[in-house]
Amino acid sequence: MINLQDVSYVRLGTRDLEGATHFAVEYLGLEIAERHKAALYFQSDEREHTLCYFDGDPADQAVAFEVCDKSDLNAAAAQLDSLGHAVKVGTASQAAARHVEGFIAFKDPSGNGIELVYRPRHTGKRYHGSRDAGITSFSHVGLCSTDTVRDEAFWTTVCNARVSDRIGDAPLLRIDEVHHSIALFPAQEAGIQHINHQVETGDDVMRSYYFLKDRNVRMVFGPGRHPTSSARFLYFEGPDGMVFEYSSGVRSIADELLYRERQYPFEPKGFCHWGAKPQIRQFQD
Amino acid sequence: MIAVDQLRYVRLGTQDLAAAIDFAQRILGLQLIEQSDDTAYFRSDLRDHTLVYFRGDPADRAVGLEIHGREQFEAAIATLSQRGLDIVRGNETACGHRKVRALASFRDPGGNMIEIVLRPLNSGWRYFPSRDAGITGLSDVVLRASDVAACEALWTTVFNGRVSDWVGEAAFLRFDDAHHQIAYYPSSGSGILAVEFAVENVDLLMQNSYFLQSAQVSIVHGPGRRPTSNQLFLTFAGPDGMLFSFVSEGDRISGDKKHRPRQFPRTRSSFCSWGSESAIPEFR
Repeated sequence: MINLQDVSYVRLGTRDLEGATHFAVEYLGLEIAERHKAALYFQSDEREHTLCYFDGDPADQAVAFEVCDKSDLNAAAAQLDSLGHAVKVGTASQAAARHVEGFIAFKDPSGNGIELVYRPRHTGKRYHGSRDAGITSFSHVGLCSTDTVRDEAFWTTVCNARVSDRIGDAPLLRIDEVHHSIALFPAQEAGIQHINHQVETGDDVMRSYYFLKDRNVRMVFGPGRHPTSSARFLYFEGPDGMVFEYSSGVRSIADELLYRERQYPFEPKGFCHWGAKPQIRQFQD
Repeated sequence: MIAVDQLRYVRLGTQDLAAAIDFAQRILGLQLIEQSDDTAYFRSDLRDHTLVYFRGDPADRAVGLEIHGREQFEAAIATLSQRGLDIVRGNETACGHRKVRALASFRDPGGNMIEIVLRPLNSGWRYFPSRDAGITGLSDVVLRASDVAACEALWTTVFNGRVSDWVGEAAFLRFDDAHHQIAYYPSSGSGILAVEFAVENVDLLMQNSYFLQSAQVSIVHGPGRRPTSNQLFLTFAGPDGMLFSFVSEGDRISGDKKHRPRQFPRTRSSFCSWGSESAIPEFR
């Protein structure tokens, strides 16, 4: 069993590093933590970085999860190897580029780039965004899945994720008390489906809605409220078609023994109980 | 000083009663409790009715306020007369239409028709609306006036109104612990600008927002949050150019001494702290 401790960071390739940086700073409200010629690192919370844009193919994406230590990482590598996943052990320079002590990379059964890291770097310098978006943390990712049943089994049996709720066949998976850190959505091909940042309050969600709308950022879903996690949300489109989400008030599952996952319909009211209709391909029938 | 007990009702004239009834039931979601050839009464809470549409001139709009006790009621009439306001006692028919024991009407300095009433009817029956809009009651009215200061003075000297806040010249007046029951906005026009109903919570407010969009109702401001009262609001257009709002949450002002009225600038951010914008001239 691979014990995922937390979702760590996302790495996204882009052909327009300048445009992506502009979006991340001016619109999303992240802070530039480190600037290199071919890569930019963005801070959103107490960690040194939670998003990295690098010069490359936009299809080149990875999401990283933290494991406890080196022995857990080695055990995970051995387990994945035995299951037939091609595991790459990160070199020292690659680890340095990710601000981690060590890592391995592999593909999940759908082909999503996954990295397992240990000792990702935190920082003593407080996150201070370029605009007051109220971001409190990078919180979860949605992943495209070509077979949600197979992938749910991977994340819940090979890894330690548990199903919090399902929307149709799309499972929302938790690895700690937060309602979900990973969400799998049916799709034709692999890829990161959305990237979530938590904001302080529902007011922050709404303020960003008007802020981004004024700047002609394409809204793809919301403002709304998820009946599953009870979070208020807003989804909008960033560089290379990537969907970003702000949300606030995500449910915390404190009692593991008593909690039972619930089934919601795969239709607009399963995604939003205010009545918003998603313009996101993977959220539509 | 005469105490205004509570906001009781709004009466609106309309040329197209059928359309107004349809709007009040289907869009606002109020409960139609009584209807005649020329009048329709709508309930929104435990008050017998809080909205009346009657066949007539759409400029004919009135706000009803309850005064508690016959003495206070008579004192109000005497004081208003002394101040030179033309105050008219309602006859038995007029009282019957309003379901009150006594009625007197006058125009505020802005030309808004105000009715003060005694012992208006409550309802023993639970409010059961036609759709689940989550309305908890009539909350406040927004009035227009060319001279807000004169209106403000009327309510704060003759009556027990207090100013909660100002946005530019616009004044928010309260009679109990709600942030305001009457808001005055400077305007070249006069009459009621908006009637505001409270809904349970933010979920209902946003559900109504999507409902109104799907019903192709013109939303003129919001959803948003007022930095003054901290109310969530959603303002939309009804029949005859009348605006309606759903509002929710909002600060309570208890213990007079703690709250001092604040002055906000007349800018977009003083009307909405989320950043919504309105084309309505009074809200710009």
